Amino acid sequence: MAANYFNSLSLREQLAELGKCRFMHLDEFTEGVDALKGKKMVVIGCGAQGLNQGLNLRDSGLDVSYTLRAEAIEQKRQSWKNATENGFIVGTYEELLPTADVVLNLTPDKQHTNVVETIMPMMKQGACLSYSHGFNIVEEGMQIRDDITVIMVAPKCPGSEVRAEYVRGFGVPTLIAVHEDNDPNGEGLALAKAYAVGTGGHKAGVLMSSFIAEVKSDLMGEQTILCGMLQTGSLLCFDKMIEEGIEPGYASKLIQYGWETTTEALKYGGVTNMMDRLSNPAKIRAFDLAEQMKAIMRPLYNKHQDDIMTGRFSSGMMDDWANDDAKLLGWRADTAETAFEKTPAGDVEISEQEYFDNGILMVAMVKAGVELAFETMTAAGIIADSAYYESLHETPLIANTIARKKLYEMNATISDTAEYGCYLYNHACVPLLADFMKEIKSDVIGKGLELSDTGVDNARLIEVNEAIRSHPVERIGAELRGYMADMKRIV
Amino acid sequence: MSSQEEIRLAGLTVDFDGRFRLTDISWTIEVDQHWLIVGPNGSGKSALAAVLAGEGTHLAGTKSGLPERVALVSYERQAELIEAERRKDDADIIDVVAEGTPVAEVVDAVCQDNQLAQTLVDTLGLRPLMGRAFRKLSTGETRKVMLIRALTGKPDLLVLDEPFDGLDHDSLNWLQGHLRELARSVPMVIVLNRFDECPDFVTHIAYIDNGQLLHRVDRTDERAFAGLHQLLHLKTSDLEVPKADPSISLPPLEQGEPLVRLTKAAIRYHDNTVFENLDWTIEPNQHWQLSGPNGSGKTCLLQLITGDHPQCYVNDIEVFGFQRGSGESIWQIKQYIGYVSTALQWEYRVGTGLRNVIVSGFFDSIGLYSKSTDTQKAIADEWLALLGMTDRADQPFNGLSYGDQRLVLIARAMVKHPPLLILDEPCLGLDDMNRQLVLALIERICTSTETTVLYVNHRVEDHIAGIKNHLTLSAPPS
Repeated sequence: MAANYFNSLSLREQLAELGKCRFMHLDEFTEGVDALKGKKMVVIGCGAQGLNQGLNLRDSGLDVSYTLRAEAIEQKRQSWKNATENGFIVGTYEELLPTADVVLNLTPDKQHTNVVETIMPMMKQGACLSYSHGFNIVEEGMQIRDDITVIMVAPKCPGSEVRAEYVRGFGVPTLIAVHEDNDPNGEGLALAKAYAVGTGGHKAGVLMSSFIAEVKSDLMGEQTILCGMLQTGSLLCFDKMIEEGIEPGYASKLIQYGWETTTEALKYGGVTNMMDRLSNPAKIRAFDLAEQMKAIMRPLYNKHQDDIMTGRFSSGMMDDWANDDAKLLGWRADTAETAFEKTPAGDVEISEQEYFDNGILMVAMVKAGVELAFETMTAAGIIADSAYYESLHETPLIANTIARKKLYEMNATISDTAEYGCYLYNHACVPLLADFMKEIKSDVIGKGLELSDTGVDNARLIEVNEAIRSHPVERIGAELRGYMADMKRIV
Repeated sequence: MSSQEEIRLAGLTVDFDGRFRLTDISWTIEVDQHWLIVGPNGSGKSALAAVLAGEGTHLAGTKSGLPERVALVSYERQAELIEAERRKDDADIIDVVAEGTPVAEVVDAVCQDNQLAQTLVDTLGLRPLMGRAFRKLSTGETRKVMLIRALTGKPDLLVLDEPFDGLDHDSLNWLQGHLRELARSVPMVIVLNRFDECPDFVTHIAYIDNGQLLHRVDRTDERAFAGLHQLLHLKTSDLEVPKADPSISLPPLEQGEPLVRLTKAAIRYHDNTVFENLDWTIEPNQHWQLSGPNGSGKTCLLQLITGDHPQCYVNDIEVFGFQRGSGESIWQIKQYIGYVSTALQWEYRVGTGLRNVIVSGFFDSIGLYSKSTDTQKAIADEWLALLGMTDRADQPFNGLSYGDQRLVLIARAMVKHPPLLILDEPCLGLDDMNRQLVLALIERICTSTETTVLYVNHRVEDHIAGIKNHLTLSAPPS
């Protein structure tokens, strides 16, 4: 196996790459799909991302076909059916790759090394190889032939949404990057932009980043606040409510839909707005709880970020790959057996405001997780823009998956890499918060404060509000949400 | 109110000298009800009123409960009376100049309430004319005489066809007040062209179109009342279908080029074939109706044309001069097409205002993601006016009734005046009133634009005038 690419760079180069992230404006895409017009695009893999990106690219007037391994074609596997029923030409690597101008690698991370090593010798001189995640290049140090241009185009939504938004005439926010070591003709950016236009991403906002910034921030975000914190929070809050005698159906529903409801407020107005949805006494309680949890969890966030930066995380996961995913599958099975997963949401009415009032601890967990992830990422050299997208911005998207079918749905929707990281975090975080949870009562999770007097001390309230509003994630968030609002649908 | 029984028409078909026919009229006027009859011009309002007065030749059905004395005021009755006067002259063989019957005699002939008659003569300003020959009066004056005869004849049922037409302001006010009084004792049926003149004592509204009684609405049913109002507006308003945006022009099609040409088209899945070997050409201005049972592939076929079916790339399809799969984008294709279907309505779950929804038709998007021009907004407002929804321009689309949503989506599809308008079961899921609203809108579009219409529908009665070509898909092999 090749060496970790990131570790092969100097500190100066590492920081430069981590610091790349820029919101691109619509007028940077006036060339449309021209850079890809008439080029032969071949997609490897026909799962949700592969199929839906291909449908969009073809509808944008581009030449798209699919290549699958010979066995998948012979056995008419699902990927073969996906591609053929949608009227795509499907061929083996040998049939399609030698004439391909752009090869889109949309297979799972785990297969990248194998796939790329197989296809590289077949690719023609000067072709382009595209990824939707930089793990293979950055963490596994895959060396791509010098004549090949390497780019990344990563729609920040599940494949089905990539298609649905395109059909509506819109798109999903998309991250693009060019692997500087593999841009022999200087055409990487033009190709990546055209690809983003072809999937409709330019209408919803494109972030220009780097392979390294994408990988290091993406891994950190998904492991901690996005998936790990929501999983840990779900399990701890549910068990606490049962212990406190809350009706299980209610507890289950409060959590399953509570993440979605409270983070919707986050999406609109950041942590400030989410906290402002609480009464003054509840806000101060949530603030104090979040401060306590941040102090307890900070070493864990630092450890995750350090392991991601040094490559320890990825080598650990690759060991698990080599061990037939023993840890991943074991943790997955454990999750399915938890009380929260096994208790269906009750048929009880919970108003939108009640999710805040009775879920003070959940709000505190989101605040603590978002701020910690952001702080840890920026402290490690990741630019604030990237850190914002990989923490606060994506939290509501993940919360939506829990609302659909609990943790099962979240872990089925995210990549195996994210799922592995999520379990890893959860495994460490649950015991870490054990003492903290002992002090928790149903007033902050399940019942609400039930105060007869909601008065608070002025000075204390000002202090808390100031602390919430002046956090750096709020400052960058206000700026980026401003850009997004300009591009967003007028609905 | 006088003791009487309800009036019942059941399955009544009535012919009027072969010129007009009322078909299958079923209508019950219960005691204590006062009805207003509305409908488009030539729909049969006057004929329906006349049937209550015993006119027309009955071909089928029954009627019962009609009282003996039915007073009818109508232009037709007026014309008959004048014609009768004229014939009296012709029949006169004595060689003197006939003066004709004086007005006073015409009034007295049926009068049952002399005091009322005198009041009416004064109020309607007929006093100076009482000695004059009836046939020498102006149209407005004979009309007033007709009204006096009807009101003083102690009728058991009063049928007034456009009673307010041509009356000056004072006469109108007096008459309306008098009718309100009279309504306590005499049931009334009134024909009006305009809803806004509807007297407040009217309890029910009948809507007639094309000789058929389509709606009977209780005035207290606000939703139905509003729907009827909208239907009448669409059927009778002078507003024209708004023009296209002059700043947007599509590349013109080559002369003689069809809009759509499918050659041996097929939809195949790995385990079944929906259809195959289908050849179809749609020429400009050649309206088509597409039908076929469920599962025969109607929607798939439409999607091959719109580009929404992925297998459009493996078929030989030429649309608007583009050979599919030659590097065109679907947005280029969609510029030429307006599309309405139930599926689109399901997809279109947005909280945006109605104006924005209509404007989104310029961009073929669900929701609006592009900046629109003032011209486009103005055109959208004209469409809202045509739909009778001007006051709702900024209301959220998802708050509309299902039928109103459909109307707005049709306007959205038409706003750019596409060369091809595809209506996939546009009446599906709509109640009767909304169906007719939708059909009324489509008919206006068909008759006043250059757009070629491709219409998918099962129901024969939802036929649209002007569609002469039919394609029927057969059931899939089981």
